[in-house]
Amino acid sequence: MSNGAFGAAAQPLLEIKHVSVDYRAENGTVHALTDISLTLERGQILGLAGESGSGKSTLGYAITRLLKPPAEIISGEALYYPRSSRQGTLNGGSPAPVAVDVFKLTPGQLRTLRWKELAIVFQSAMNALNPVIDIEAQITDVLRTHQPGLSGRAQRARAAELLRLVGIAPDRLHSFPHELSGGMRQRAIIAIALALGPELIIMDEPTTALDVVVQREILMQLIGLRNDLGFSVIFITHDLSLLLELADKVAIMYAGRVVELATREELKQHPRHPYSYGMLNSFPTIHGERRRMVGIPGAPPDLRAVPSGCSFHPRCPLAFAPCDRVIPALRQPTPERPDLAVACHRYDPALSAVPPPTDEEFAASYAAAYQAEREGKGV
Amino acid sequence: MTQSQAEQTLTANHADPRTPILEAVGLRKYFPVRGGKLFGPRPVVHAVEETSFALYPGRALALVGESGSGKTTVARMLARLYQPTAGTLLYRGEPAKSESRSALLAYRRHVQMIFQDPFSSLNSNHNVHYTLGRPLRLHGHARNRRKEREQILALLNTVSLSPAEQFIEKYPHQLSGGQRQRVAIARALATRPEVLLADEPVSMLDVSIRLDVLNLLLDLKDQERLAFLFITHDIASARYFAEETLVMYAGQTVEGGPSDEVIQRPRHPYTQLLISAAPDPNRTQETSFQARGDIPSLITPPTGCRFHPRCPHAMPVCRERFPGRTSFGAGHWTHCFLYGEGVSASDAAATQTATLSPADRK
Repeated sequence: MSNGAFGAAAQPLLEIKHVSVDYRAENGTVHALTDISLTLERGQILGLAGESGSGKSTLGYAITRLLKPPAEIISGEALYYPRSSRQGTLNGGSPAPVAVDVFKLTPGQLRTLRWKELAIVFQSAMNALNPVIDIEAQITDVLRTHQPGLSGRAQRARAAELLRLVGIAPDRLHSFPHELSGGMRQRAIIAIALALGPELIIMDEPTTALDVVVQREILMQLIGLRNDLGFSVIFITHDLSLLLELADKVAIMYAGRVVELATREELKQHPRHPYSYGMLNSFPTIHGERRRMVGIPGAPPDLRAVPSGCSFHPRCPLAFAPCDRVIPALRQPTPERPDLAVACHRYDPALSAVPPPTDEEFAASYAAAYQAEREGKGV
Repeated sequence: MTQSQAEQTLTANHADPRTPILEAVGLRKYFPVRGGKLFGPRPVVHAVEETSFALYPGRALALVGESGSGKTTVARMLARLYQPTAGTLLYRGEPAKSESRSALLAYRRHVQMIFQDPFSSLNSNHNVHYTLGRPLRLHGHARNRRKEREQILALLNTVSLSPAEQFIEKYPHQLSGGQRQRVAIARALATRPEVLLADEPVSMLDVSIRLDVLNLLLDLKDQERLAFLFITHDIASARYFAEETLVMYAGQTVEGGPSDEVIQRPRHPYTQLLISAAPDPNRTQETSFQARGDIPSLITPPTGCRFHPRCPHAMPVCRERFPGRTSFGAGHWTHCFLYGEGVSASDAAATQTATLSPADRK
């Protein structure tokens, strides 16, 4: 995978290389993530999209080293590139810009990485805030722990500033979580994540539990903050349509693998993986013609029994001979776009005699599969 | 609003004036809550105010709004899980009043509900056979075990759970979310209802399965001529599923009419806000979006139009009383002072041009 499209100036912030994570269950091992490689550039919003069980949250937890047994990182590395001014604490004072492998950090080093460099926002704000402590105390708690030199007055001033940043009036500083609406609680969580000015914020379904209007407000605010403060975001969601508005780059995940990597525009204009096409066409739209839409047949696989070959092949209307035997690797769909990647045999001239699928072929094949399913089941 | 008005506005666009199966006339629901002054009035949650609509065979009405807008309360009144504080329910023109158990059973044979969460709406101790067999027996559709099994298999086929023989012995934990929701739909169909009340039937399901379940419900609507109340927070699926859409805000119905009209040409500022907030891949990051404040408390709701504290076009009159209904033809109506009520015609014209629809704003 390359980051060529973003120019030579683009610097990687995080390089995930060949990461695999297993869950060791009593009745066998589940491969939650298999050989994931992704690059996040500074200031970029990377979207991870997938359904439940696709491994998107596991990846977020792996990067932050929050995975607990039975989950285990089997292989791979997560190279984090700190800003040169911050190098000292993480790599033992070496002056050269050296990457740090997050997976190899000691607990002490991890403490300096977390929150200062990398923060995480979880899905359910209601559970993440302590119900018996007011908002100010929860923000200053972070500052006290990670910036012990700061005076109490400075801590409280910073707490007020952070709340203002996320659009909460500072007079709510002494509110308790139950006195705030769901949207405000989620904003407070984002304020806490921003407390130490991290380089990277991982957001796991940050707005899923919220109403559409509140969701939109928070997303607009997030984009504004990103533009002002310049942090990077890994945005994990099942809602692909959100990422098409928000993310610079999107990775589509299915059954523990990345099946397509594309810029937002490319994905919108020309989804390349059959699963991406199916997902994009599973949402009714507000505008345009009102017509019967066709979903993806079948259901996401059980990770205890992932289909052989391409794990999407039982649901794929374009599956052909090698799909149930050979696992497709991520490859460039076209030579002129090194920033795109897709894991589908139809893009491999060595395996597929016919050219890569077009939108028309996708549409026709999905429609035919849907028709066959209907007739087979006799709705 | 009187009953005849409700009928008139909702049937205006039907060339064929079929009779509604289920009709809600001026439904209102207040929930008492604890607290308040010792000798003062007991505080209540004003969950639903003055809501009227009708459900027709083979047609769907979508109820759209955010959480706390009262959509689920409306569905529960229709299912007669809640007794309305005021207003009447008409089933085939007859007021559904009697509280006796047999009358309720008879009513629920015709009006069934599908819940949002298939993980909690199915009893995990019972297998599919029991779950589907029980309504068949209770409502006297299956006289013996053989008939019961036949009908269960037929129901499973209807909801595309095949091979049905395999699913009949399964327990909920052996089924995926989509399959559970199909069982829940089959259970609702077991009583051979005429009306289905679907409360966010797909929002808990995986994205790639939602459309499948939605299409199954569409097939039932078309082939079995079921009348649907479809509750959703997603205005795009309202347009996809339902012929008519009703928008609720904080317990008040603010706009209604044919789905395409309401969504392509929204009149009420709240509908416009809702549409501008919906995810739309064709929009860019730069789109302007303005929302002010949060959903109000329903114990002490804002006076007049409850949207006025958040409304960019609020006028003094909006605080005083709830506006009357303005019709735009073809069954499309709204409750908003911007469209005439309470202001002079020239003022209305001026504010109307200021109120751009989201489509124009892009």
